[in-house]
Amino acid sequence: MSYLRHGKYLFYAGLVVLLVLSPSLLMRVNAPHWISVLTQANFLAVFAMSWDILSGYTGQISFGHAFFIGAAGYTSALLNFHLKLPLWLSIPAGVIAAVLMGLFVAVPALRLRGPYFSLMTLILPIVAMKFVLIFSNFTGGELGQFGLTPLSRARGFLAHQRVNYFYSLGLMLLTAVVLLLIARSKVGKVFEAIRENEEAVEAAGINTAKYKILSFIISSLIAGLGGALYVHYWESLIPSTILTLTLSVQLIVAAVAGGMGTISGPLVGAYLLVGGQEWFKELAALSPSLGFLEKWNVLIFLVILILLIFFARRGLLPALYSLWARVCPPARRAK
Amino acid sequence: MKSVLELERLRKTFGGLVAVNTLSFAVEEGEILGFIGPNGAGKTTVFNLIMGSFKPDSGRIIFKGRDITGWRTYRVVNCGIARVFQLSRFLRHKTVFENIEISTIQNRIFARENRQARERKILQAAELVGLGEDLWKLPGALPHASLRRLEIAKAIATDPELLLLDEPFAGLSAAEVEEVSGVIGKFRESGRTVVLVDHNMRGVMRLVDRVVVICFGEKLAEGTPAEVAANPQVQEAYLAGGGVNDA
Repeated sequence: MSYLRHGKYLFYAGLVVLLVLSPSLLMRVNAPHWISVLTQANFLAVFAMSWDILSGYTGQISFGHAFFIGAAGYTSALLNFHLKLPLWLSIPAGVIAAVLMGLFVAVPALRLRGPYFSLMTLILPIVAMKFVLIFSNFTGGELGQFGLTPLSRARGFLAHQRVNYFYSLGLMLLTAVVLLLIARSKVGKVFEAIRENEEAVEAAGINTAKYKILSFIISSLIAGLGGALYVHYWESLIPSTILTLTLSVQLIVAAVAGGMGTISGPLVGAYLLVGGQEWFKELAALSPSLGFLEKWNVLIFLVILILLIFFARRGLLPALYSLWARVCPPARRAK
Repeated sequence: MKSVLELERLRKTFGGLVAVNTLSFAVEEGEILGFIGPNGAGKTTVFNLIMGSFKPDSGRIIFKGRDITGWRTYRVVNCGIARVFQLSRFLRHKTVFENIEISTIQNRIFARENRQARERKILQAAELVGLGEDLWKLPGALPHASLRRLEIAKAIATDPELLLLDEPFAGLSAAEVEEVSGVIGKFRESGRTVVLVDHNMRGVMRLVDRVVVICFGEKLAEGTPAEVAANPQVQEAYLAGGGVNDA
């Protein structure tokens, strides 16, 4: 059934083309503000996918992924703000900071199992936030720092939005491709096996500690790259956008709703979450009878998530795949 | 005969409990050694010490002339010892093929992988244990005896020179014991060595070349199955379990 396989790739290629064309299409349907909504979705997708390679694949559930995002965001922003470092230096420095934080978390993580590890990751961004407040002269504290070098140099608001969108889209697609390749390689197989039974992997002659550290490096590197670009997209360093529990939870919601341990699931989840919330806002503005949606927006999404966890624990994408498989059963694997 | 594995005055305590007490014995190349003792005698602890799950308090473990005492499990496995656990540890959402595949993956992250060689190894291991037909099934769909075989296949796929089997016959019917015995025999025919733990002496007597009996962490007897069965001390140790022949 090779044409079906090709069909799948054609479908993906079609999606990419659609994403590339969407700024022009959105301008045409007179909804240019959706460009920035999609940009946000791209960033959340990067964060959710970076979480997935650590938590979804190796099963080390991180509740504080904003720690890595924030470490990179703060490093890049502060270097750029105080030392006037250009982005091509400050962003890599931010990524390095995130990876160092990843290693810093990985070492105790090798000794902590299950809930203890998760508890530690939950506390780390809070600790980092305290540091931000203590050194507020330098960090800008709760208000943050403004006037960072922007990602896009385009003139005009809409052109600016478009360039930002393409930066975020490029990052998102690169992340998706790299992580999917890793997930399908032997490294991904080892990660999944560690999630299911670490002792069995060790008994297969594989150093699980090394692979777990690798998962931290990959995850923090990507979260860091996203975080460093994110602050320059906003052109400002605001702790509530990169170092809060809300962000940590949001990216988990996207990943779990889409389907953790799949990479593509978190991507889809991020788009549904960001796009869906914006759509609800627009519906609410449309007529007074729908006004309640404005307030109910987040609540509805959380209820949907709870239902998903109940009825399709593996997430939306895997649920759709198995539904598809039931509707048209694949040919039996030849071998 | 050359010794493959030597345990020298191995000792391990848990708090006040002496699980293994100055235990020494050697495993000869190419033999099937029965490692036998009543429940709680310390057999699994000895396996855990060899595989690096625990570090011994004192004593040495020598494998092919190398001191491997206290090595981490993956290193022990990579130097040529594999263990089949008493309880099956399979990946539930992965097929039999994928379960065995993990054992063929190299520890080095950037190692060049030879896919064909790996697939061949997986198929060989599966054929050897008789799972050739079940490669695309999930472990949950296999009967108990086949899960034991899967465990053996996983161990064999790491290419061990020495295979440690922890109660491979537990919970198997007489016919299934025959089958699994056949698998172990076939593995030995390829020139490799097997150590077999069991508390049930009768089940293993026909299969093994030599027996080491331990009780309360100490060696009680060593010799051919007939010698050991006739040993009065062994018989006494097994009295609680109903005697050597009924155990």
